Amino acid sequence: MNDRAPMLETTGLGRAFGKKWALRGLSLRVPEGELYGFLGQNGAGKTTTLRLLAGLLRPSEGTLRIAGLEHGTDGAALRQLLGFVPDTPPLYDYLTGRQYVALVASLWHVDRRQRDERCERLFATLDLSEVADELCRGYSHGMRKKVHLAAVLTTAPRVLLLDEPTTGLDPISTRRLKDLLLAEAAAGTTILLSTHVLEVAEQICHRVGILARGSLCAEGPVAELRQQHGARSLEDVFLSTAGGGD
Amino acid sequence: MGLVAADLRVLGNLLTTADGRRVATSTFVGLALFALMSWWVADALVDRPDLLAMLHRETRGGSLQALIGYGLMACPLVATWYGLSLAQRQLFEAPELLLWRLAPQAAVRAPLQALLRASLVSSTWAFALTGPFVGAFLRQSPAPLLAWCMLPLAIVCCTMPLLATLLAVQVALVRWFAGRALRLVLTVVMTLASLGFFAWFLLALFTPSQARVHDIAAAARDAGGLPWTVDTAAAMLSAVATGRFDWRATAGAVGWLAAALGIFLFAARQHPRAWERQLEAAAGFGARFGRRWPAGAAGAVRKKEFAQLLQQPGALLGFVLFPLLVFGLAQRRLLIGGILANPRLPDCVATLGAMLALWFVAVMLVLYAHMGRMAVWDGPQWSLYMASPTPPGRLVRGKLAAIATLMLWPLLVVAVAGGHLLGADRSTLATFLAVAIGGTCAALGVLAALGTWPRLMRPDEGGHVLQGARNFVAAILLVFAFDLVTAPGWLGWIWLDHFARERRLEEHVVRPYAPLLAGAALAWGSLVGVLGAAIGTRHYRRLLTPR
Ligand SMILES: Nc1ncnc2c1ncn2[C@@H]1O[C@H](COP(=O)(O)OP(=O)(O)OP(=O)(O)O)[C@@H](O)[C@H]1O
Ligand SMILES: [Mg+2]
Repeated sequence: MNDRAPMLETTGLGRAFGKKWALRGLSLRVPEGELYGFLGQNGAGKTTTLRLLAGLLRPSEGTLRIAGLEHGTDGAALRQLLGFVPDTPPLYDYLTGRQYVALVASLWHVDRRQRDERCERLFATLDLSEVADELCRGYSHGMRKKVHLAAVLTTAPRVLLLDEPTTGLDPISTRRLKDLLLAEAAAGTTILLSTHVLEVAEQICHRVGILARGSLCAEGPVAELRQQHGARSLEDVFLSTAGGGD
Repeated sequence: MGLVAADLRVLGNLLTTADGRRVATSTFVGLALFALMSWWVADALVDRPDLLAMLHRETRGGSLQALIGYGLMACPLVATWYGLSLAQRQLFEAPELLLWRLAPQAAVRAPLQALLRASLVSSTWAFALTGPFVGAFLRQSPAPLLAWCMLPLAIVCCTMPLLATLLAVQVALVRWFAGRALRLVLTVVMTLASLGFFAWFLLALFTPSQARVHDIAAAARDAGGLPWTVDTAAAMLSAVATGRFDWRATAGAVGWLAAALGIFLFAARQHPRAWERQLEAAAGFGARFGRRWPAGAAGAVRKKEFAQLLQQPGALLGFVLFPLLVFGLAQRRLLIGGILANPRLPDCVATLGAMLALWFVAVMLVLYAHMGRMAVWDGPQWSLYMASPTPPGRLVRGKLAAIATLMLWPLLVVAVAGGHLLGADRSTLATFLAVAIGGTCAALGVLAALGTWPRLMRPDEGGHVLQGARNFVAAILLVFAFDLVTAPGWLGWIWLDHFARERRLEEHVVRPYAPLLAGAALAWGSLVGVLGAAIGTRHYRRLLTPR
């Protein structure tokens, strides 16, 4: 896979909060159309990494290029390509799900016909059609997440960043989400996600990176990692790298 | 749908829900009250042709401009209050900020949206405060239709420039100085702005018409009497009202608006960095405080209240400023001058009366904040209380214990002020302490009963407490209830005063009654306190049962 030009590339990326480094020395190359998963214990730096990639945080050191663009210089052009699904979605409580999607689509310059077509399809896939015209304030946690996801996918991002996308989703929705992500990746979207659910990583990610205390301690396709560590499952790999280091 | 359209849609959707309609109604009631007061102040002036004639003379014919300027002064005050208090949150803590930042639009778009929201809200409040007052004089003038049409423009021209500048300054400050120190400073400024605004409002409301006219004339006379924005806007509007069109003033007013917007847009480019810095600096104060917490529920709740207080720089500052205020009142004999100067009362009685009056005022100042501690401020944690098996009585007890400790502060401050500045002797001090402790118990009873009243205080499902009119009603009820439970004291004082008019009171005659007075106050206070706590516990049980 590494023969393709990288869609996303970081070198020595690091971010400190005060004196504490949340992430340090992250070098990544993710080619177009790859599904890349971040694993790691709580506080390992997954959210920080995704926020850096999304341009919400500035790196304290290192560089970051997405599709050849940089956050500082090509802000709007880069954000047009990006979709970010944080763990608490920034919904407007007093808009309906459909109105929220319309707002997001208009911010990302999606025309009306495409928007309506994508929105209908995504709402149907994510089982949201029934609540589409209710106010977001009444949504459950999982529904909020799915609505924001649908809104982001409506903008057809070329790079999709998801922070723990499956938390709060029911098994059916989780399954649909996995299929959706695989289809998106097959269509050329580069996807980076963080997750605590190893099965998700095992089933859909082309490659995973395991973060521990702010740095990458293992990276590669799941099968390769298993082989390298002589482990039977990704869980064993995780325990021996992320948790079992001490 | 753009960001503005989305906000408008939100307003529309708000009205389709019951909660939203409640918010809208209470906001509307608040606005209507402000408008009513503004109209009332204007009406009192319109009814006094003599005063208006005097103003006309003193301003050499410029009375309309002076009056309009006076009315428009509310705009920069609202802008200051709003810009320093709520707008700060909208600028850095609105949940939608994340979306605005992610969207492929200019970096200034997000702060601009915050400014638009803040402008809409503050202009609306400014309109409620200014419109009726200025309108009354436009009608009396009588002004052509164009003047009425330009009134909103004048209000916006007086509100927006200051608001935009304040927000710009805050963006810049957070961008370069984010941290605990800045947070402290901003919170202090925020508290002062809120206090200052309401103090101004009350003062303006209760100024007698005569004094008001003098103020207006004085402001019109000296060149720096009004802010530039208000001055130009008043000139613009008064010219139109008298059938002229003052191009210079209009260009000036709009120019101020444009200049401030320019400054804002310049500073807003730093907003992404500022927002980031704000997120980093969000850590609290003194996390080490209180490692050893009590195991009992009441004790833990009490400790929690203190810990929360330490996290609120504004509240802490209030505690520090408070003695200065009380000492100031005592030193200048404000409010208590009449009592102390009463020749018929022996010194010890007058001093006791003055100290009790000071204590009463001091408690009034802090009572409202303490009411929040009973239930409202726990809104976000409400589900925790609802889920916990702790009996409501314990929670109430813990909260009351915390508030009781905090209420010792006014007691202490007034006692020291009395001893130092009013020359109270030891037995007077002792009597004061006993009576004031009784009064504190009564105040606690009032807080327990009212601060937990489900009708006023119930947090909604999301843990939010509705602001607006309910708040206002709660404050008024609190003042009224506190007056009621301290009524025996007031009545006793009035009786004493009457008594002293008929027969001269000698110090050696009244001294022996001091223990009796102290005992009565303590008994009454305990009665009210126990009763209030019982009601509060019942209320808490109702608050904690799911709806
Ligand atoms: N705004 C912030 N201010 C200070 N420290 C922060 C901030 N955000 C993150 N950190 C620190 O950075 C480290 C990494 O946090 P991050 O949120 O990236 O972890 P995570 O891997 O996403 O954890 P989780 O699995 O719990 O979501 C943590 O130690 C955290 O305390
Ligand atoms: Mg995280």
